[in-house]
Amino acid sequence: MDKILRIDVGAEDGPKATTMQVGEYAGLGGRALTSAIISKEVPPLCHPLGGDNKLVIAPGLLSGSASAMSGRISVGGKSPLTGGIKEANSGGQPSQVLARLGYNAIVLEGKPKNNDLYKIFINKDGVKISADNSLKMLPNYDLVAKMKSEFGDKISCISIGPAGEMKMASATVAFTDMEQRPTRHAGRGGLGAVMGAKNIKVIVLDDTGMTMRAPKDPEKFKDANKRFVDGLKSHAVTGQGLPAYGTNVLTNILNEVGGYPTYNFKQGRFDGASKISGETEAETEIKRGALPTHGCHRGCVIQCSGTYNDKDGHFLTKQPEYETVWAHGGNCGISDLDKIAMMDFLDDNYGIDTIETGATIAVAMEAGLAEFGDADAAIRMIHDIGKGTHLGRILGGGAAATGKAYGVERVPVVKGQAMPAYDPRAVQGIGVTYATSPMGADHTAGYAVAQNVLKVGGDVNALKPEGQVELSRNLQIATAAIDSTGMCLFIAFAVLDQPETFQAFLDLLNAFYGMELTGDGVTELGKKVLSMERDFNARAGFTSQHDRLPSYFKTEKFAPHNVTFGVKDEDLDKVFNW
Amino acid sequence: MRIENIKSYPRITFYVDGPLVSYFFLLLQQGVTVRSRTGISVASLLREEIGADPMMIEKIQSIILEGKPVDDLESAVIKDGSVLALSAAMPGLVGATLRRGGMYSSFRCAITYHETGGEHVQGEGRVQIKLFNLLMAELGPGLLQKGVILRSEDFIRFAAEQSTNFWKGFSRITIDGEPLSPGELPDSAWLSGKGEVILTVLTDRARA
Ligand code: SF4
Repeated sequence: MDKILRIDVGAEDGPKATTMQVGEYAGLGGRALTSAIISKEVPPLCHPLGGDNKLVIAPGLLSGSASAMSGRISVGGKSPLTGGIKEANSGGQPSQVLARLGYNAIVLEGKPKNNDLYKIFINKDGVKISADNSLKMLPNYDLVAKMKSEFGDKISCISIGPAGEMKMASATVAFTDMEQRPTRHAGRGGLGAVMGAKNIKVIVLDDTGMTMRAPKDPEKFKDANKRFVDGLKSHAVTGQGLPAYGTNVLTNILNEVGGYPTYNFKQGRFDGASKISGETEAETEIKRGALPTHGCHRGCVIQCSGTYNDKDGHFLTKQPEYETVWAHGGNCGISDLDKIAMMDFLDDNYGIDTIETGATIAVAMEAGLAEFGDADAAIRMIHDIGKGTHLGRILGGGAAATGKAYGVERVPVVKGQAMPAYDPRAVQGIGVTYATSPMGADHTAGYAVAQNVLKVGGDVNALKPEGQVELSRNLQIATAAIDSTGMCLFIAFAVLDQPETFQAFLDLLNAFYGMELTGDGVTELGKKVLSMERDFNARAGFTSQHDRLPSYFKTEKFAPHNVTFGVKDEDLDKVFNW
Repeated sequence: MRIENIKSYPRITFYVDGPLVSYFFLLLQQGVTVRSRTGISVASLLREEIGADPMMIEKIQSIILEGKPVDDLESAVIKDGSVLALSAAMPGLVGATLRRGGMYSSFRCAITYHETGGEHVQGEGRVQIKLFNLLMAELGPGLLQKGVILRSEDFIRFAAEQSTNFWKGFSRITIDGEPLSPGELPDSAWLSGKGEVILTVLTDRARA
C-alpha cells in the first residue's frame, strides 16, 4: 500500500486515472490522510460541489492486513452540509479490498466536462473508467445487483444513490458489506453529493489475485493481534453487550435517564422506547430467523451489527443502529420497529444519512407537515427525497435547510449538521463535543478512549463540571487518532478499561510498520489531525461563534429533569487550547 | 421481598422448562413492581432483596434511581414508589458517561442522583425495578421466581402477543393455585378488573 489513485474527472476525454507514489502523505491513513489532503489541496473557500473540491477515500493504516477490526474506511472532502472539512467513516468490505489492491487513497478531483455518469473498475490489472448512463438514478441495491451481474460476485462497491446524483446535502457514500449489500455508509456531511458532483456513480473493486498485506514483524504482529482480540472478547461491552444487542442497547438507558431526545428534542423520555429498544430488536430478529450478531466486514470480532427480517422472515435491512432507530423512532414519536427498519432500508437505498434524515423529518413534523408518530408520512417523505420531488429537494438538504424553508426555530444543528441521539442538556459533556468538533454536531467525534491510558492533557477531576472541557478535548484527540488507523471506534470500549488492550493496539501498529509508536505518539497524531481540520475551517470562515449550540438549548428546559445547557461560551473556547 | 402477603391480586404462576423463561425478559425492561424494604440503601436492596453477590454488583455498571444515575450505592436510599433501573456496561461515550463513578461522570453532572439527606425511616413499600440488556438474563429468573407485580393490562398485552407455541411450552400454568388447561388463556376481562397481577415463573431449577 504505497500509492494514491487520482482521478481527474475534468480531463479532456473523460475521467483520467493517474497512479502516484504516496509521497508526502506517507505514514498517514484513514482520517489523518483524508484531512491532510483536503487541508493541503482544497481551497477552503471553494464551493463544495465545485471543481476545486476533492473527494478522498482512504482505508486505515492496518486495513487489508490480518489485524482484527481494521476494516473502516474514511471519506473526506469539504462538506456540502457544514461548509467545513468533513471526514465520515464506514464499515463494509471496500477498505480491506482497496488496501490489498495497494491503494492508500482514491482522490476524485476536477470538474466534469459533461453530464455523463461514470463507473470505475479497479482490480489487480489496473483501473478502467467507463461512461454508463444506464446507471442514472439507480438506487444503491439495484446498482450493486447490476454491478454483480457485470463484474461477478467477488466485487465490493463504493457508490452513491439518487440523492448523491441530485447533490443533496444529506447524501451518503455507500459501501457494500460481506453479503454485497450496500448497507454501510459514510453518512454524515453530504459527501455523497461531492461524489455526485464528480459524476462518479460507483467504484467497483475486485482484489482477486491479491494477497493480504504482510507485517514487518509477523511474529510480533500475530502475538499483538491475539492479545488485542482477547482483550476485545473479554470485555463486557465488546465481548457481550454489543454482540448481543448492538448499539441500540442504549435506547432503554438513555430513555431512563431522560436524555433520549424525543419529538424533535422537546423532551427526554419516549413512551414507546421499550418497543424499539435493542433488547426488543434482538428478540424480534431471533424470532424471525435473522442474525442479531453479525460483522459489517470480515475481521470484525465484536460484531455489533446484525440483519433484520420482515414479518415473513425475508431480509429487509441490516440491523438498524441506535442512531437510526432514535432518529426515525423516538425523535419522530414513532415506535413501530418494522417501519423504522423500512426507513433504514430506504435511506440506504436512496443513499441518505439516517441521522440527518430522521432529524429533518422531525423538524418537518414540528413545521406541521405531518403529525409526530405518523410513520407512513415519514416513509413518504423519504420517498420524496429519493425521487427528488420539490418537497424532497428541501428535505434532502437536511434539518437546517428544512427549518429555514418552513420557518422552524427549534432546529437541532451545529455548523449545519443535525445532532445525534443524546440530548446535550442531560449529558452536557457531549454538548461540548457537539459544539466544538470541526465536523459539526457529531457523536463519534469524542468517543471514549481512556483519559487514564492516554494521559492526554494531564489529570482531570472527572467529578468537577469544569472537567468536561478537558475531557472533551482529550476524547476528540484520541478519536482523531483511532479514526486514522482504520480501526472501528468501538474498540475504544475495551481500550478504555484495559490498558493491556491499548498496548496490544499500539503493538499491532508497531509490528506492522516496524515503528515505535507510544501513547504520546497517538496523542500527537490526534492533535495534528484536529489542528489541520480546525485550520481548514478557520480559513473557510469559521470562528468561535460557530462552536455553539443553538440558543434554545440554553433557555428551553428539558424534561424530565428540566435542565438547560450550562457550559459557558468562554469554556467552550478553551477546548482546543493545547 | 415479601410478595405472599398481598392477597388481593391474582397470582399467575408459570412452570417452565429452562430456556422459556427468556420469553418474560422483555417485561422486565418495561419495569415490574416488587414489595421491598424501604429506607435502605441501593446497595442493601441489591444485596439483600435482589440477592446480588459482589460479582453481580460489579456487573451492574449503571444504576438509575428516579431517572438519575447513581454513583454512590451506599448513600442512595430506596423509598416507597422508587423506580430503580439496572444495566450492565454500555457502549460508547454515553455508556461510559452513565457508568457509576466513571471517568466521564462529570459529563452528566446536571442529572446525577444526589441523596437529599434527612431521616429515612425503614419500612416496606413498592419499588419498580427495570432490568436492561444482559441483566435481564442474569437477574430476571430470580426476580420472576420470587414473583413480580404487573399492571393487568401489561400482562394481558404480553399474553396476547405470544404465539400458541408459547402457551404449549409450559408444563403447568396456575391462577391462584388452580391449574389452567394447556392452551387456555386467562380471562382478560376478569384480570383487567383486578388492576394488577402477581406473575411468578418457576423454572425446573427453581423447583428442584
Ligand atoms: S463493531 Fe460493529 S461497526 Fe465496528 S467493525 Fe464490527 S460490525 Fe462494524
